[in-house]
Amino acid sequence: MIRIALVLISLLCAVPVYAIDGTALLKQVDRNLNPETYESYRKLINIEPDGRKKEYTLFTVKKGEDKLAALFLAPASEKGRSTLRLGDNMWLYIPNVGKPIRITSLQSVIGGVFNNADILNLDYAAEYDVEKVEEKGSEYLLHLKAKTKTVAYDRLRLWADKNKKLPAKIECLTEAHMLIKTLYFAEVKDFGGGIVRPSVIETDSPLYKGYKSVMIFAKIRKRELKDEVFTLTFMPNIESLR
Amino acid sequence: MRNIYGITAYMQRGLPVSYDRTILFFIFFTVSLLLCLSGPARAEEYTFDISETEKKPYHIGGYAELRPVLLGLDKNAALYKLKFYNRDEGTALEEYNATLQLEGSLEKGIARLFFRTNTVYKESYLGSDHQTTIYEGFLSLKPSSSLTIDMGKRTLRWGKGYAWNPVAFVDRPKDPDEPDLNLEGFIVASADYIKSFDGPLKTLSFTPVIVPVYEHVNDTFGDINRLNFAGKLYLLLYDTDIDFIIFAGGSKTTRYGMDFSRNLTANFEIHGEFAFINDFKMRFSDSNGNSFEKKYDAKSYLIGTRYLTERDTTYIFEYYYNGTGFTAEEMRDYFSFINKGYGTYLSSGNDTLLKRASAITEGNYGRINPMRDYLYLRISQKEPFDILYFTPSITGILDLNDRSFSLSPELLYTAITNLELRLKASFIAGERPSEFGEKQNDYRLDLRARYYF
Repeated sequence: MIRIALVLISLLCAVPVYAIDGTALLKQVDRNLNPETYESYRKLINIEPDGRKKEYTLFTVKKGEDKLAALFLAPASEKGRSTLRLGDNMWLYIPNVGKPIRITSLQSVIGGVFNNADILNLDYAAEYDVEKVEEKGSEYLLHLKAKTKTVAYDRLRLWADKNKKLPAKIECLTEAHMLIKTLYFAEVKDFGGGIVRPSVIETDSPLYKGYKSVMIFAKIRKRELKDEVFTLTFMPNIESLR
Repeated sequence: MRNIYGITAYMQRGLPVSYDRTILFFIFFTVSLLLCLSGPARAEEYTFDISETEKKPYHIGGYAELRPVLLGLDKNAALYKLKFYNRDEGTALEEYNATLQLEGSLEKGIARLFFRTNTVYKESYLGSDHQTTIYEGFLSLKPSSSLTIDMGKRTLRWGKGYAWNPVAFVDRPKDPDEPDLNLEGFIVASADYIKSFDGPLKTLSFTPVIVPVYEHVNDTFGDINRLNFAGKLYLLLYDTDIDFIIFAGGSKTTRYGMDFSRNLTANFEIHGEFAFINDFKMRFSDSNGNSFEKKYDAKSYLIGTRYLTERDTTYIFEYYYNGTGFTAEEMRDYFSFINKGYGTYLSSGNDTLLKRASAITEGNYGRINPMRDYLYLRISQKEPFDILYFTPSITGILDLNDRSFSLSPELLYTAITNLELRLKASFIAGERPSEFGEKQNDYRLDLRARYYF
């Protein structure tokens, strides 16, 4: 009798456990990282093992799930280059060449550890399905699988802060679970307009031992943009959006 | 991660001097271990000066370039005889080139003025020479994100091909050996109207172009005193870029074109172009120098691919059929005529035939890749052996009609911000008579140092 009473009491006292909706969580992480439609500035720094650095400054605009464009502002050798992403389609416009050419997500327009997919990254939920969510202390660990073969990394392991629902670390893996690179999110900052997110992403890669890349964000703000801005024909004119 | 950042911040504030060495060593060891275990060192501070993002209404930039060239001459080649018949320049030529390319823009409201000039100073066996050309200079009006109107001198760069663009009806021909170089434009009035959609057709844009050809206005384009019209309709349909192109007006015969480009997978792209040229007029000569003209509807096309391997090797491969080109027999006659003219010059000192050969060379046999069938292959390896910013590549162009070819290995290094260093060699080979076999050079060495500002 005492045993039955104890079981009943423990059942009543038990905290209800809900299955975590991985997709909703990933969408929340996406929204906390960026508004759906926004503009921002970024600095990319490639750091070599001997400490030498190479820096790039970009202006970025994004609309909805699959439209993103970036314009290089510095250094002078890259100024005026722009990249456009419409879903799986990516183009690079080089002022000297004078016309946009199709590029692939795995290519790197600047060299270094970041590739096009890192620079022109869409919402994670747009490109990945959540296979599994684990709770790891103060963090969630989301196991993500690419929706299509055209996505640069087949698998991601995303650690997100439970309270802030912001990513802390992302491991990018091949289909065979080989680690390609790791992104570390740091220095959460209030950008205004309700946008509070990491302002620095560091990257290292076992493929580039000793090298690392850093991306610093500034002036992230919501902005209404026309669809026509995200077209091949508009690429030489992205500067006019600033 | 938060712990690491906490410790980093603590280190930056400084440690109390009263701590004994053991504690200091322990803290140092623990911090070092944690930093090592946590991946990249994050003690470093990164700065982003917001002033770098401020937009100015004007912009001035460009590049300065130094380019010494060594040319190894082939004294038995037909084109050597045509050019050097009355002079002996030895077995190799040196050439020193300095280029300043300036570009600038001024923006106010919906208007933007843009210019790009190219100044070349050259010192060669012919002495020194310099020339400044306005490559582009136009006014651009952008009343909305859907509409842009441009007036002035500009390059349009139509077509999807990397080495050749048979549909670039309103452009100067590009050099497949240097396809990424800026080109001089033509004076045009053009507009871009863009419309985006949901569904399989994502983008539609229309680009009408007016090309005036009068004395001192685009007079190298074609027949003068004509107002020409060109147009391009672009579609992004089922993730495929498609262009339909037309040119009409009289300075050149009417021509139609289409091109496409599509990614089959994330690392595999295909592209193609097709051009139909109505009533193309070809001037050609027999081996005695008698000139003829024939008129026919010419079809040119190109099919190509760009493939990126997991090891970051990029292959660009193209096949080009040039319907406006000469057959192997027509080129043989041309080379025979030069050799005949050279023989006459050697025996009598009379260079009349060679001068006639020179006249039919300009803009005709002397075009870049003047024959019918070509293959192009470029292989470039990004950052081999983990050397960042280093890209070696090799480019081959094969004339399928006479089996002659050129092979150009190059090394590109861009580690220093804004400085681009390139060493390029070109070797050509082919039987006589053949396109590459009859070129004046056997080899070429080219060092280019370009500084962007």
